[in-house]
Amino acid sequence: MKISWPHMGSLEFVLSSVFEELGLDYLLPPPSSQRTLELGARYGPEFACFPLKTTLGNFIEAIEAGADTLIMVAGRGPCRFGFYAETQRRILEEAGYEFRMVPLEFEPGKIPATLRKLRELKQGRSWSSLVRAIKFALSKAYLIDRLERQALHQRYLDRERGATTKALEKCYRMVWEAGSYDALRRVESEAFDLLRSVPGVERETVKVGIVGEFYLVLEPFFNLGVEEQLGNLGAYVERNIYLTDWLRPSGKNPVAGHHDRDSEEAAQPYLTHFVGGEGLHSVGGTVLYQRHGFDGVVHIMPFTCMPETIAKSILPQVSRDLGIPVLSLVIDEMTGKAGVATRLEAFVDLARFRRRAGERGLDYSLQPAF
Amino acid sequence: MRYVWGWSAMIVGIPGGLLYYRYGKLWNSFLQALGAEVVESGETTRSILNSGVSKAENESCLPVKVFYGHVLALRDKVDAIFVPRLVSVRKGTHTCPKMLGLPDLARAAVEDRIPIIAPTINFQEGMWANYKAVYSLGRLFTHNPVRIIRAGVKAWREHRLYLERLTLGLDHRSALRGEAESLLCEGRELRIAVIGHHYNVYDTFTTMSLLDRLSSMGVDVVTADMVPEEMRRQELKRLPKEIYWSYEQEIAGAILACTRHRLVDGIIFMISFPCGPDSIVRVLCEQENKRLGGVPLLALVIDEHTGEGGFLTRIEAFVDMLWRKKGERVREREAVAV
Ligand code: SF4
Ligand code: SF4
Repeated sequence: MKISWPHMGSLEFVLSSVFEELGLDYLLPPPSSQRTLELGARYGPEFACFPLKTTLGNFIEAIEAGADTLIMVAGRGPCRFGFYAETQRRILEEAGYEFRMVPLEFEPGKIPATLRKLRELKQGRSWSSLVRAIKFALSKAYLIDRLERQALHQRYLDRERGATTKALEKCYRMVWEAGSYDALRRVESEAFDLLRSVPGVERETVKVGIVGEFYLVLEPFFNLGVEEQLGNLGAYVERNIYLTDWLRPSGKNPVAGHHDRDSEEAAQPYLTHFVGGEGLHSVGGTVLYQRHGFDGVVHIMPFTCMPETIAKSILPQVSRDLGIPVLSLVIDEMTGKAGVATRLEAFVDLARFRRRAGERGLDYSLQPAF
Repeated sequence: MRYVWGWSAMIVGIPGGLLYYRYGKLWNSFLQALGAEVVESGETTRSILNSGVSKAENESCLPVKVFYGHVLALRDKVDAIFVPRLVSVRKGTHTCPKMLGLPDLARAAVEDRIPIIAPTINFQEGMWANYKAVYSLGRLFTHNPVRIIRAGVKAWREHRLYLERLTLGLDHRSALRGEAESLLCEGRELRIAVIGHHYNVYDTFTTMSLLDRLSSMGVDVVTADMVPEEMRRQELKRLPKEIYWSYEQEIAGAILACTRHRLVDGIIFMISFPCGPDSIVRVLCEQENKRLGGVPLLALVIDEHTGEGGFLTRIEAFVDMLWRKKGERVREREAVAV
């Protein structure tokens, strides 16, 4: 049994570490590429959401590389994500691929079925070793998230463009190779030292927050490297979604540093009900960023995404009321990196200008052009 | 909520989009029985569509854009707009995320200039919460509990009657009126199922009077409402993964029942661009239909740019194809009989 799963940011380090610990066979899909996108768009249904297509492309490439068991999280709405696994299974079967799809569901009623599936996946390893492996992988994920956050905060100071990104990649590898809690503790201090030792310059700060649909926010290849681009444009970047916050659905976000409740309350004047996905938190997150003195918010959403379309309809009002510029980036297979780069550049300029104006106590009004 | 009105009745607007094509009768008679003056935005028109399209986000689905248009049409005429939030209308299911956020979208559309009355209906939380929501809605208009309950009972009766008329083969308009010159399904030779969300099937403007046109082409139409509920339920039970959207269940159930039992000669699946749930259910229906060796299925995707000419050509081609197929089958049968 060769197990595989789609790429999503640093998820690969976390899951592969679980299987590594258990000594099970797994296969990472080839790194996402233009081809992944094309495959996904070719087989994916018309106007299905973008992540459905990209993960479908990952699956196809994984099967081609020899994977036979695909794992995917499933659920029950109200968004489409809960139906990905089933839809992708149908599409892949019709296209003639041979594989087994294992949708893992975590609703109360589905736990027994999920445990049965996990029993198959762990192939005779003991439950306690599985739990241990997952716990260990979670500590790795937590560390990775904090490292990513550090990188977001410091990238704009790089003396040499790309130095932080390179250091971060080295950190990923170090974390992944750590084999015990002791080693992980050692790696933790080394990795942070490594990141902090990246040579920097003095620079004026402009703070930009990122909100949006969780897959696109977490997946740098498909969001066209928005974080990195923003950093290179000179912005101190923060995001409201980290992988561990999502893997631990307690509502507490240890990395992003707020509770889901905070952002729900912040969204109240504009959006009063859960709308699936991250829609509510995109609105709430924008309000929270404003309260924390950020100069702009970039909202990333896949084309046709339902919750984020709602957020996008409401964000202009938030922007007007609170005076914080918001840029909504709608991304699909047609989106070009160059176009996004120009818009981000203009946006960071606007944010910087507004910050300066604000510091000098000038009155500025917001152009609702974004 | 705290809207205080004097002795004159409060004017409440009901936008004629989205779920109006299902609960319009219910809402209207409830509010009227409570003593409100009800203004409806009426049927969709070109100008409603245009104002909706220019106000709504470009990524929204067509019905939401149309809905924006209806809200804007009411904005200057009423004291408040009625946009209930239907979270779930059946246990274990949800409506679409857009409907979960609809009152907030409406609020953004009118830029907070007039209040939106938005009771929350959620069957996940049990009936008691719903009764409470309806009761507090009634309290906005009257303090007399008996009057609220009476209004509720009356509205519910009329709503049931409306739904029943739909199952008998009246379209939305004649079901509202309670009389019809002709039924959608009158036992003509060719029968086509037109299935989709209510607002995608019964909105005569966005569908370019599809139902009427089919009738005038001498074709019988079957809607999802006319497929017996029990049959739909049976189909849903057969699916490997349960569909969790309330209205999508009806659609998928109806399409699959039509294919399995050959209730019709062909199916038209009406989809608005870019509907989230429909994009998923379409894959499911097309595959199951193929697997069952079912009937020809045409997925018609409409948006605000759909031209009447191209739309009609596709329908006519589809109907012609069905006639030909039917003819062949009849001839085959005759040949066997000889
Ligand atoms: S959140 Fe958006 S992109 Fe993700 S599954 Fe839902 S609709 Fe699709
Ligand atoms: S179900 Fe589809 S058409 Fe209806 S509101 Fe949702 S996305 Fe739009």
